This record gives sequence, C-alpha cells and structure tokens, in this order.
Amino acid sequence: MDIDVKNLHPLEVKLLRHVDLGSEITADRIVDELGYKIGQCNQAFSWLSAKGILQETSRKTVVLYELTDLGREQAQNGTPAQRIFDLLSKGEALGLPEIAQQLGLEKSDIGSAYGQLSKSGTCAMNEDNKAYIKDDNLPADVAETAALLRKGLEGPIEETSLSDREKALMARVSKKRGAAGSPYKMTEREEVVYQLTELGAQAKQAVIDANITGEEIGVLTPQIIASGSWKNATFRPYGLDAPVSRLIPGRHNPYGNYIQWVKDKLTSLGFEEFDGPLVENEFWNGDALFMPQFHSARDIHDVYYVKEPRHCREIEEPWLTNIANAHENGGNTGSRGWQYKFDHEFTRRQVLRSQGTVLSAHQLTKAKVPGKYFGVVRCFRFDEVDATHGADFFQTEGIVIGKEANLKDLLGLLKMFATEIAGATDFKYVPGYFPFTEPSIEIHIKHPVLGWFELGGSGIFRPEVTKSLGIDEPVLAWGLGIDRMAMMHLGINDIRDLFTPNIESVRTRRGN
Amino acid sequence: MPKFETTEKMFYGLMGRPYTDQELEDIFPRAKAELDEHDHENHVIKIELNDTNRPDLWSAMGLARLLKNYDDPAPREYDFFSSKVYTADNHGRELHVGDKAQQVRPFSCGFVATGKVVDEGILLTLIQSQEKLCWNFGRKRRSIAMGIYRNDLIQYPIHYDGADPDKTHFIPLHMEEDLTLRQICEQHPKGKEYGYIIKDKPVYPYLCDDAGEPLSMPPVINSARVGAVKVGDEDLFVEMSGTVLKDVLLCASIMACDMADLGFTIEPIKVVYPYETEFGKEITVPYYFQEPASCTLEQVHKTLGEKITMDEAKVALLRMGVYSVSKGDTVYITCPEYRNDFLHAVDVVEDVMIGYGLENFEPTIPKDFTIGRLSPAEEFGRKVKDIMIGMGFQEMMYNYLGSRREYVDNMHISGDKVIMIANPMSENFEAVRPSIIPSLLESESVSGHATYPHKIFEVGKVAYLEPSDNSGTVTRNNLGFMSADGSVGFNDVNSFVNTLMYFLRADYLLKAPEDDPRFIPGRCANIMVKGRCVGVFGEVHPAVLESWGCGMPAVVCEMDLDSLMELI
Repeated sequence: MDIDVKNLHPLEVKLLRHVDLGSEITADRIVDELGYKIGQCNQAFSWLSAKGILQETSRKTVVLYELTDLGREQAQNGTPAQRIFDLLSKGEALGLPEIAQQLGLEKSDIGSAYGQLSKSGTCAMNEDNKAYIKDDNLPADVAETAALLRKGLEGPIEETSLSDREKALMARVSKKRGAAGSPYKMTEREEVVYQLTELGAQAKQAVIDANITGEEIGVLTPQIIASGSWKNATFRPYGLDAPVSRLIPGRHNPYGNYIQWVKDKLTSLGFEEFDGPLVENEFWNGDALFMPQFHSARDIHDVYYVKEPRHCREIEEPWLTNIANAHENGGNTGSRGWQYKFDHEFTRRQVLRSQGTVLSAHQLTKAKVPGKYFGVVRCFRFDEVDATHGADFFQTEGIVIGKEANLKDLLGLLKMFATEIAGATDFKYVPGYFPFTEPSIEIHIKHPVLGWFELGGSGIFRPEVTKSLGIDEPVLAWGLGIDRMAMMHLGINDIRDLFTPNIESVRTRRGN
Repeated sequence: MPKFETTEKMFYGLMGRPYTDQELEDIFPRAKAELDEHDHENHVIKIELNDTNRPDLWSAMGLARLLKNYDDPAPREYDFFSSKVYTADNHGRELHVGDKAQQVRPFSCGFVATGKVVDEGILLTLIQSQEKLCWNFGRKRRSIAMGIYRNDLIQYPIHYDGADPDKTHFIPLHMEEDLTLRQICEQHPKGKEYGYIIKDKPVYPYLCDDAGEPLSMPPVINSARVGAVKVGDEDLFVEMSGTVLKDVLLCASIMACDMADLGFTIEPIKVVYPYETEFGKEITVPYYFQEPASCTLEQVHKTLGEKITMDEAKVALLRMGVYSVSKGDTVYITCPEYRNDFLHAVDVVEDVMIGYGLENFEPTIPKDFTIGRLSPAEEFGRKVKDIMIGMGFQEMMYNYLGSRREYVDNMHISGDKVIMIANPMSENFEAVRPSIIPSLLESESVSGHATYPHKIFEVGKVAYLEPSDNSGTVTRNNLGFMSADGSVGFNDVNSFVNTLMYFLRADYLLKAPEDDPRFIPGRCANIMVKGRCVGVFGEVHPAVLESWGCGMPAVVCEMDLDSLMELI
C-alpha cells in the first residue's frame, strides 16, 4: 500500500476509523456521529478522496429554504398583509401612512401588502382615500403564507418536503441572492455520498494496526509539558510538502555586501581605507591631478558645479603654489609644465567630486611611505541618466607608495586585482592615457561570465602631481570598475537598480 | 575621447597591406587606440584614440605612421620644416598679420600643399582632421581653427587682421548673399555655432589676399569662392588661426605631415607679425619649435623596473618614431615634428615602455609590507548596520542627488541648508541630499505593494551648507531608518533608538525639538549625547506623508554617526 498512514490528519484518521466498507458516508452522517463541523467534514472528504481512500458514489443537489431575519420576525408577528387586515378589522378606515405609522412598517412594505389585499377584494379605498375592510375573510394565500413561514421556524425546509401549492408560495417569498428583504433564503447544497474504497479499507486496517487514533498531539503547548500528558501520548508527524510561509528578515543590501566584500579584500591585501567630502574644488578635482585648466574634460558639461558657495575660501599651501607652478612652468618637478597662466579663482570653484582619484591626491599630502591606500567612494558626473549611467556611482581607487615601486609592481598589482577581486581567467595589459599618470596602463580581463572587458586604469603618478604634493617616491595609482561585476553578481542589467528605492526588490535580491 | 573613421582603402594603403580585425586589435594599443567598429559592408573602420595629448594620432595618416614604423622602424624625415637655426625657401609667399589681430585672435599661419589631386577620400579625410583638431584639441575652435583654400586663386601676400565687423563683408560658403562679418555671425549656421567666440570683440578676424579677395572669417566660415575646396583641386593653401602660438604651429605641422604622407608636396609660407612672438616676428611655417627632451637610463630602470640597455632604449624609441642620441647615462630625443607631448622625462620613459613592448615586462608583487585597515567611519558604520539588521531592518542604498521637491518641499522644511547644483542636467538631480529621511520616504512612496511592516535603513552620506567650513559645506556619515506599518508609533522608534544606543554604549538624553515640521508636534525628540544633538526621531507628520503620497503611518530616525563616534 502506497499510503503512509502516519501522515494522515486527525480528521482523516477519526473518519476512517469510524466508517466501514460498503456503508454510505455523507456529510450529515459525519456531522451527526463524529461532531465534525461541516467545513471539517468537507476537508476530510477532500483529502481522503485525493488519496483514493474514499470514492464518490452519487451526488445530488438539495434545495433548502431557510428563514431570514425578516422571515423569522414575520413568522412570529405576522406578515404585513395579515397585520394590515387585523388593524383594519378593528373597524376604523385608515390612510396608508397612518397604517405604516401604527404598525411601525416601511411605506413600501405597506404599499405592496395593501396591493395584495386590494387585489383579492378584501380591502378598498373610500372617498377620503382611506382603506377599509370590504370582505372580512382573510384571503387564503395570506393565511397560507403565514403557515409556511411558521413552518420555517423549526429549521431549514427541504424543497422535496413541500407540496406544489407550498412550492408556488415559496417562490414568491424566497430569494437565492440578496435575500435580506425576503422572508426565505434559498440555498442549494450538493449532497455527496461516499464509500470506502478497497484501498481505504486497507488504510483503515493499517491505521488500526499502527494504533493511530487521531488523538495524537499536534501543537505542543506549555500545558501539555506542564501536565506531562505527552508521556502517554504520541506526536502527530507533520507533512514535509506543506507550503511555507514567508519571513521578512533584517538584511544587508546585497550591493552593499558586495562593496563590503571588495573593501575587505583590499584590506586583506594591505590597503588602508580613505574617504572624503562630497563637495570638492577644481584644485583637488583637477588641478592637483595635473589636468590643465583648459582640458576638454573640465568643461561645464563634465562636472556638477555647486551653486552656492561658488568658491571655497582658500586652497591649502604649499600645495596651491606648488601645483600652480607645476602647471605654469613645471615648478620644481622637472617638467616644463603646461605653459599657461594658472587661474587662481577657477581653482577655488566648488564642484561635486567627479572622480575618486581626488582622494588619492588628498592622501598624498598625509601619506606614510611605504603606504597602500584605497577608497570606494561616491562620485558625480554630468551625464544623462540611463541604464548605463547613474546620477552618482561608486569608484574604487587607490595608491601604492614605495621607494622601489615601479611598472612591474604595477602590473603585479593589477594581476592581483584581476585574480583576487574579479576572478579573471585571463588578462592583458595595454598602454592607457590619464593626464595624471605616466606611464599609464589599462588591464583588460577575461571574466568567467562577462568575457573580455576593461577592469581598470592605472599608472605611475606624474612627478608634477607627487612632487607638488610633497612625495618624492614613486606612487602607483589605480582604479577599478567594479560595477559591472556587481551587477552580474546581483543579476541586474540596469545600473539605476543598484540604488533602487523599491523595498520589495531589495528584499528579494540575492547575490550570486 | 576623439574618434575618427577611415576607409579600408585609405588605411590599408597607408599601412602597406590589409589587416585582419584581430591584427588591428593587437597593434592598436601601441597608439592607445581601440578598434571601435569595422563596417565590413561599407569598408569603413572606426577608431577611438585615448591619448588626448597626441592629436597627431587622430587621423589615418598619423595612426598609420606610428603603427607602420613600430614594426619597421625608419621614421620619415620631413624636409619642409624651418626652425630656429634653418629657414626653408618660401618661394616669396608671405602671410602678413596686422596689429589689430592681437585684439581678437593673435596668431595665424599656413602652408601650401600641392601636386596631388584631391579625390573624395582625401577631401573627407582633410575635413575630418580639421574637425578633430579644432574640436578636440582646439577646444571647439576657441583656441584653434583651420581653413583650406584654393591656392591657385590667391594673390600673395595674404593678409590676416582684425577687421570692422560692420564694414567688412563677403559671401560665406554655402550662401549666396554678401554679408558683413557681424551678419555672418548672426545668420550663417556656422556663425550661430561659433560666432560666440568673437561676437563681443571690437574687431573680427579676417583673412584676405593681396587683391582684397576674401578667404575667411576665422574661426567661423570660409568665403564661398576661394574657401570652397572640392574634388579635383590640386593646389591648396592650409591656414590655422588661434590663441596659443605653439598649438597653432603644432596643428600646422600635423596637417603638413599628414598631407605629405598623402602625397602632397608641402611648400612653406613666411608669416610676418607686426609684434614680437616667442619665435620672433617672422616665422616660416611649417616651423619646428619643439625643445629637446631627455631622460636618464637610471630613470628608465627605476620607473619600469627592468634593466633595459641604452641600445634597447634607443631602438624602442625609434619604433615609436623618435630619434635619439645618448651621452653617458642620458638619452636625448628629438621630438617628432608632429608631437609636443614630452613635458617631463617620464614621457620619454613611457615611449621606451611602449616601444620595448608591454608584454616584455614580467609582473612582480610590490614588496613593501603594509597594514590593511578600514576607516574608523566604516568600522563604526558596520557595527551600526549589524544592530539595525538584528532589529529586523533591511539595508537600503540610495542616490545622493535628487530634486528640491523631494529634499525640501515634500519635507516641509525651509531648505536653506541644501547644497544646490549650479548646472543641473535635470530637476530630478539638482540637489545633494541633506538628509537620509527623504530617501527613506521615497522608498515608502514607491513600495505600497510590498508586505508590511516596512523596516528599512541606510548608513550613508549626507551633505549640507555649513558656513564654518572652508568649503561652506560639510559631508557627514549618517544613519537613517524608518518603520512604516498600520500600528507603528512613537514608542516603537523610541525603543529602536534605545536598543541601538545600548549596544553602542552611548548614554543619551531626549529633548523636545523647538519646531520640526517633519514630525507630529509632541511626538519627536532630539537625541542628545554629552550636550550635543546627534540625531532626531519621531512620528512623520501626516502632511509630509501626504506630500510623498504615503498612506501608512511611519516613524523615522536620523543620526550623525561621525558625531556619535566622536562622543562615545
């Protein structure tokens, strides 16, 4: 037998133990004999049928009439027609509003009831428009209706128990839907008869053999523990394929998790984290990085300018003088500079940080030698917002300062990032260009999922940058594009989704 | 980054043979170039150049010159250059600059290119070079503009001067009316595009020949007759004007070398200035002005980490098109005529690196031992996040830019501390967020469908105006959290704050704020630590909820973690 009787619900067990092969099983019987509620009964039938323990042998529709609140009231106090007849029978002719008032009934009820009496010739209106009794015999249908209503006081009436006359009357006083305004509500009920199957008989035997009674413990309560009643009882095993209810846990943001992972990775590689303000000035955002003030990437259309205050009060010395000299003629950096007049007002113009390298420049003024630093910092770039450009985004940047730091170290560093952070299977270096590094190198990697792409840009800071900011040793500078990997990790295609405000989408998002 | 396109015919012709896409992708990095697109159907190759300081590479001629020479080093020596010590024969051709030019656009120069019939490919290439040089290097014609003219119609000397914008007139290219210089700026499409560069000057730049025949109004438009070069011409005058003499001369040199590579014969023109320039009053163009550059082998070794020999270094430079000589430990280079990007010895080192081949450097791991460390703010932020998550909150991450409507209007605050952007791209991103609370309420406003309760938080940055700082602004690391639900109230947020502060070991007091329209009066509190306010929390005012379109009661809290960390 392929039924595990241990998994039967107590409602199933008790029913099964109660019935025998060949006997008719109906809801009425189970309600009567086992004290089930009709809902429990139906559940048990449905589960047992699904398992093949019960099988349906016949089914018929039973029509039932049940008194509504209104019908109960009328059965006890009389129908409006009867009550009008009784009132008028006292002899006084009355207008319909007076009748309504004296009987405490709605005018509409009085109207239809009077119509019934008037149609049968029992009542009529005098010249004052007042009703009086014309024939002092109560019409038969009024009396019969009253009898039918009283019959309902004993309980629901099966249609089959009604005479044809009663059926006709019932049709007038009952409704299937919206029955609140009618004395009777008509309901239809499927009456299904089941029988135990062969399999069911085996199951019953198995239940008896296993000594399963349906009285096993379900929910373990403190009372059961306290009373010790569990000691002589057994526990009902629960099914494993029941639907599971949803929990909403407190969670990290998965993108935040990824960034945290990158930060941890970088600290494990010996890097110290830096950070800084969102509002910068042209000096640190560009000048300190030896980007000439006339550089095409420094147009109004590339950075966000702060409306007010437009300028910072001052740029720290000696950095300002050093950098201005480096731009104009190279200063003490060994360069010939960009050979133009450095603009001291423009340099104080305030912008929203447009690149993480700004913080590397800041770091140079306070760095230890040797030193390795990084930041995962928010940047802002003047760009149309779309699926590949966010209003603001994270950049991952850093520097390595060391007496012996050189190109080969830079390549080694990039290789380390490629394998440790990107999980690259293959990579290649190509010469790059950044105004602040020379030489400059890009690393392109073959990602196991994304294929070839540019992981990062890097280089050795130009002496115009480092010497001006007080560093004589070589400085390797690098930046990594981690967003593409983060998006793949999170399974999203639109960069705007990294910062979505949608709670449900963040709740359900998983990292790969 | 500059991009240009060329035909297979022209590019492969210059390179000496056809190349596969794979070959192109392999060799392009030597010029910091990338194969952007190869349209095999129309035989067009699109190339992107990364080095904004190498305008000589922004043409098929310049790129092919470097790539071809790399494999077979024999840099072409261009014989038409004059210099400080040598002046080439100008065949009597002169360009005279007038002294009013200084008031508007002080420098002009030019040369003649002849002996090659202009076909469609050459014409398109020349127009494209002009665009790239003037747009990317010449800052949209502000510092460099270029014109090409029919030399056979020109009577020398040519005159360049500042002219009266209302009395000088000619028929501009692509038009039929005779217009004054000012009218051209106002009416001609190019005038509308570039007229702003000279519009407010007392005189406008004007170029004409000795017979008074107009050539152009740089940097706006050529004349319709002499300035209309077309297929079939073979005698051209190429002219540059601008504001920085070296840049103007460099562009003339780049064009001269490119056109020589296309098969033109370059004939110099003597430019006569009424004022002193850094290269004297008379400059015969193309003019070689570049200073020698050098670097020591020691610097090569130190920077590249490889013991490259002097001979190897010189070969590497030659592959990059750079001639050099050595003396002792120092290598002296002759900057190619078409380049001016050797600012520092490190620029020489990079050419050695690329010429030597990046693939020949073995990566090494930096040897210095350093200690990795998160910033104190990150450490503290993580502690806070863990407590919030323990209390059942979901971490969110938001953009830091938004609208005034979100940050000010919807919050019913005055907004006098909000940092506004002077040049917003759209009103959706016109302000830096001064608080995390609007971000949280935005979440609530778009998440009505998500199962309640909503418990969310963020540890992130905010920035606002703060007069005491040098920048007049301050950036802080803040915590913001929100709980929204049918039954949430002040007691809930009070408990969350209490629990958080307990685990942070922060002793605090609550103080009723003076007036905070974001909250229901009497149901909000300032969080005081050692007498300083580090945060605020309370029940969000229904007026604020209504502005956000939120239908569920919400409590929020915001704390300045930097201050808190400092105080505990």
